[in-house]
Amino acid sequence: MAKLLELKNVSKTFPGVKALQNVHLDLNEGEVLGLCGENGAGKSTLMKVLTGIYTPDPGAEIWLDGKQVEVKDVNHARDLGLSIIHQELNLVNDLTVAQNLFLGRPGSHKGGFINDRALEERAAELFDRYGMRIDPRARMGSLTVARQQMVEIARALSYDSRILVMDEPTAALTGVETERLFELIRDFVSPTTGLIYISHRMPEIAEITDRVSVLRDGEYVGTVVTDEVEMREIVSMMVGREVSAEARPRTKRLSDEVVLKVSNLSSKNLLHDINFEVREGEILGFAGLVGAGRTEVARCVFGADARTSGDIEVRGKRVRIHNAVDGVNAGIGYLSEDRKQYGLLLDQSISDNAAMATMEKFHTAGYIHDDKIEKIGKEYSKKLRVRTPSVAQLIRKLSGGNQQKVVIAKWLIRDSDVLIFDEPTRGIDVGAKEEIYELLDDLSRQGKAIVVISSELPEVLRVSHRIAVMANGRITGFLDNEEATQANIMELATVGKPVVEGAHS
Amino acid sequence: MRIMRSAIALASVLALGLTACGTSTDTSSPDPTTAEETTSAPAESESASEEPSESPSEGGSEGAGDVPQGDGTQTIYLVSKGFQHRFWQAVREGAEQAGEEFNYKVEFVGPQNETQVTEQLNMLKTALDSKPAAIGLAALDSGAASDLLDQIEAAGIPIIAFDSGVDSDIPLTTVQTDNYAAAQAAAEHLVELIGGQGTVGLICHDQTSQTGKQRCDGFKEYMAENAPDVTVLPEQIAGEVGLAANAAKSMIQANPDMVGLYGSNEAAATGAVQGAIESGNSELKVVGFDSGKTQIDAIKNGQQAGAVTQAPIKMGYETVVAAIKAINGQELPEVIDSGFAWYDASNIDDPEIAANLYE
Amino acid sequence: MSTTEETKTEVEHEAKKEGRSGSSFQQLLVLLALVAIYVFFMFAAPNFAQLGIAIDILSQSAYIGVMALGTTFIIATGGIDLSSGTGMSLMAVAAGIFLAAPPYWNLPLGAGLLLVLLVGALIGAINGANVAILGLPPFIATLAMMMAARGLALVISQTQTISIANPGYKNLVQGNLIPRFELGGSTIAIPNSVLIFILLAIVAAFLLNKTLLGRYALAIGSNEEATRLSGVNVRFWKMMVYIVGGLFVAIGAILYSGRFGFVQPSEGVGFELNVIAAAVIGGTSLSGGRANITGTVIGALIMQTLTKGLQMMGLRQEWQLVVTGVVVLIAVLIDIQRQRRANAA
Repeated sequence: MAKLLELKNVSKTFPGVKALQNVHLDLNEGEVLGLCGENGAGKSTLMKVLTGIYTPDPGAEIWLDGKQVEVKDVNHARDLGLSIIHQELNLVNDLTVAQNLFLGRPGSHKGGFINDRALEERAAELFDRYGMRIDPRARMGSLTVARQQMVEIARALSYDSRILVMDEPTAALTGVETERLFELIRDFVSPTTGLIYISHRMPEIAEITDRVSVLRDGEYVGTVVTDEVEMREIVSMMVGREVSAEARPRTKRLSDEVVLKVSNLSSKNLLHDINFEVREGEILGFAGLVGAGRTEVARCVFGADARTSGDIEVRGKRVRIHNAVDGVNAGIGYLSEDRKQYGLLLDQSISDNAAMATMEKFHTAGYIHDDKIEKIGKEYSKKLRVRTPSVAQLIRKLSGGNQQKVVIAKWLIRDSDVLIFDEPTRGIDVGAKEEIYELLDDLSRQGKAIVVISSELPEVLRVSHRIAVMANGRITGFLDNEEATQANIMELATVGKPVVEGAHS
Repeated sequence: MRIMRSAIALASVLALGLTACGTSTDTSSPDPTTAEETTSAPAESESASEEPSESPSEGGSEGAGDVPQGDGTQTIYLVSKGFQHRFWQAVREGAEQAGEEFNYKVEFVGPQNETQVTEQLNMLKTALDSKPAAIGLAALDSGAASDLLDQIEAAGIPIIAFDSGVDSDIPLTTVQTDNYAAAQAAAEHLVELIGGQGTVGLICHDQTSQTGKQRCDGFKEYMAENAPDVTVLPEQIAGEVGLAANAAKSMIQANPDMVGLYGSNEAAATGAVQGAIESGNSELKVVGFDSGKTQIDAIKNGQQAGAVTQAPIKMGYETVVAAIKAINGQELPEVIDSGFAWYDASNIDDPEIAANLYE
Repeated sequence: MSTTEETKTEVEHEAKKEGRSGSSFQQLLVLLALVAIYVFFMFAAPNFAQLGIAIDILSQSAYIGVMALGTTFIIATGGIDLSSGTGMSLMAVAAGIFLAAPPYWNLPLGAGLLLVLLVGALIGAINGANVAILGLPPFIATLAMMMAARGLALVISQTQTISIANPGYKNLVQGNLIPRFELGGSTIAIPNSVLIFILLAIVAAFLLNKTLLGRYALAIGSNEEATRLSGVNVRFWKMMVYIVGGLFVAIGAILYSGRFGFVQPSEGVGFELNVIAAAVIGGTSLSGGRANITGTVIGALIMQTLTKGLQMMGLRQEWQLVVTGVVVLIAVLIDIQRQRRANAA
């Protein structure tokens, strides 16, 4: 079988991060190749290199049909027959389907004038060819996500692509729609074409792929033939046989007193019947894949987002939480995964940020006592070992780890009983991570009830006393730290949608 | 019969105090024999405060001798530049007066302010669509209206321009204040007030409209031609009282020898007065244009020397009269002057003047 | 002193400079610009170099300046107020109706002024409700108010000029709480409007830097979502900010109409742009999060100094506008440059 595509020695370095390291990949003619790996393993980066969005580090080679090529940019990639359908669809909601199909495409206009009717005819032809029933005149925003995706696929195909990459295409699809997508994939694959299918979902990988390549931490792990292995083996390839840090928590929960209890929490689009409790001094980890609904749980509990049902109790008392103000008043602090967007005022000082959730303590009839704010800012900077010359320093100028400490200080000053950490070490360098973990241990010793959401399994295992695993908006299982391994967490996290739905409804 | 009617018409106009307005018109004499001429306004302006009746006049409602009575079904549609301002309300008053008198319906509309060109065009279109017997237009932007004017002409509806000229040959006549002559009259009075010499300043309310330019140029050119000993400072443009007051004050402070100041409309003149008061220069003679409560008060209490006023009521009246004539196919002169008058503390309460002043 | 300590104090100093009020470097620039412009006119414009002119500039910038103080809070939240110009006109008319002799209400001065402030707060509250509760973009909400206020001013005044004969009213603005005094042979009179402007600037600076209102306004402008997630009632505080803005516009209206003793409903159109320009020249960032009262005051003074000086030079209005435009442009460019540098760091 001839190699349609070969990637050799691909590395990609971002400032401070080695996202890919000497990765190899090959795709045969007429084949669907699965590409698997944990969050951040480098799958998307690799595909962006392939389709010309990123330029690889020197030394990388891309071979097409036995000839070495250099992919200069996105348009060049298209000319070579390489197309990608991203997880996030690149569509303009306010334009029609036909207008989207031909947006920015050579030959879609004559001297700046656009003939919509001609575009619509060409679009209709295209849809006919692939058996898609889509109205070219429909406004893109009025289509379901599945249909929008079909438009993306049609667009990719219309460039006479020979190699198509799909990045998590089923994230927003229902079971039936997924089946329809698989049909399209099977139709596409011919003796001269190939498809790379990126997914976390093991059942889908098993169903649609011929072979599977696995990446871990930016490195190539290996390739297996789908029919010859158990999915379990692929999962263990993804997690790595030897786990780098086998560290476990150094604390125990303080008592059996339930501090936070969440029952029957559901949200409009994603969450379904979430139940969990966190005890005094306990750290409950939330593991799961991107999009499983972990952040949504945190935001719903805190009041940042609306829920359709669900009771929240703090220390045995039911609390009414409808917005973030309620959440804060109920003693819950939420540390967002995106500190810069949701947690910090970048152009304000450390002490102002630290005091932001507790301003009622620092004013008399509206007059702010800046001296008190500065004092408490200094106190907590010292406690949390924020490295800064002065608490008047602007947050913008701090490192990620120090910024995170200021956010933590904000909720400690508030004296919240419940702290929800969403990806507490994202964007923080390795050295500082351990410091944050120790801080979590400290908080646990102080009797706080803590929820830690993390996509890094070693991190979850390092800090959590118990681990809740989520998939598709539900909790698929709880594991005590003693019994938890990366493998059994991944197993629970990759349960397919039909299984989850079948198991619970 | 016609003569009889027009005499009645004039009498009623007089009774309502519509007619008097001074130098370039004479409507105080109801004598129909002087009424035949309806030619354009004189460019030269008589020196002002004499009794209006002594200045023989062309233009004006004397032509009313030929105004045929309507049957009450026909509508004359006037699209003005504004609506709320008292000036336009006075125009409306005069127009409705004429309508009542000659038995025509009068529709009077105008945009919210004098910058809303599009709004005015919409109104003009509505006027056209309602198929009136005649249309009167005070165009904010002649160029923008040209398409509609063609359509109106094609529909066979006669159109009369009023207030300011419409840059087109379609309107049959223009009923307007001779702003240039009026500004010259203001200049002439100021020269007299300052004894023929010294430095004077002027605040013009606007430099883009025809009216604004004429009121500025009339003043400056009179000074250049007739007052060799008067120095005129570069004009400041300010259309609001506050801005005009600031500008006036700056001019006075920069030129302590200034003896006179002219403001080309109510806001500019009021601002000029305010500037003079604030800078403590009580000797300064301020002359203005138009009327309005603030100017009238200032003239009455001596802070302002005087002003020239237009005759808005007469303008409305004449516009409707011209329209009626046009409906009946009568010849019209190119321009119909609606007149102006100088007024100061001495004659401000004269009925002929007072009728054209609005607060 | 060891080297580390030295760096520490240096950084501490640096950090203090760069706080929520923007860099002191920029403030210094703005102040220097004012001084430079002033000195230029001392030589270029006849009779410019006298104390009376400086007081004039202060008193003539008072109403724009006072409105700009309020608008500074709104811009600090990342909002904008386009309704200050016509809102001022509406409130001036309201003042006329409350205070003028019959057929108007002829209220005592105190009651009338209180009602004007109330109208200001109401207009601000409507803006605030539209922005904070209904979620309209501030540009749209206040654009609508700008139109509505203009219309209302015309309606309630019946397009008439209203004379306010109440001597106390004019005295409040034009009177001299500080007695006239002789200086270098000329009589110096400081109108109350100047005192009011200075007093309100101090009040505004206090509100912005020392109270919850200012702190939350800046926090909202800096990062609304983070502020909300810190448990701050963002809606409430945004409302308050717009109400404060409305109150300052009401005071601006009193200063404007008190100068003349009469009110005209058609004034004030376009003033909002001068108001916004004053804040922007002064270093308040249109994207919110950074605001500076001193800067706003200097911004208003710069614009009035330019106008005054160019007028006294006998330059026409067109050029005054062109020069003011260039100054606004330069001020914003400096701001953008500064932000780029901050973001790069």
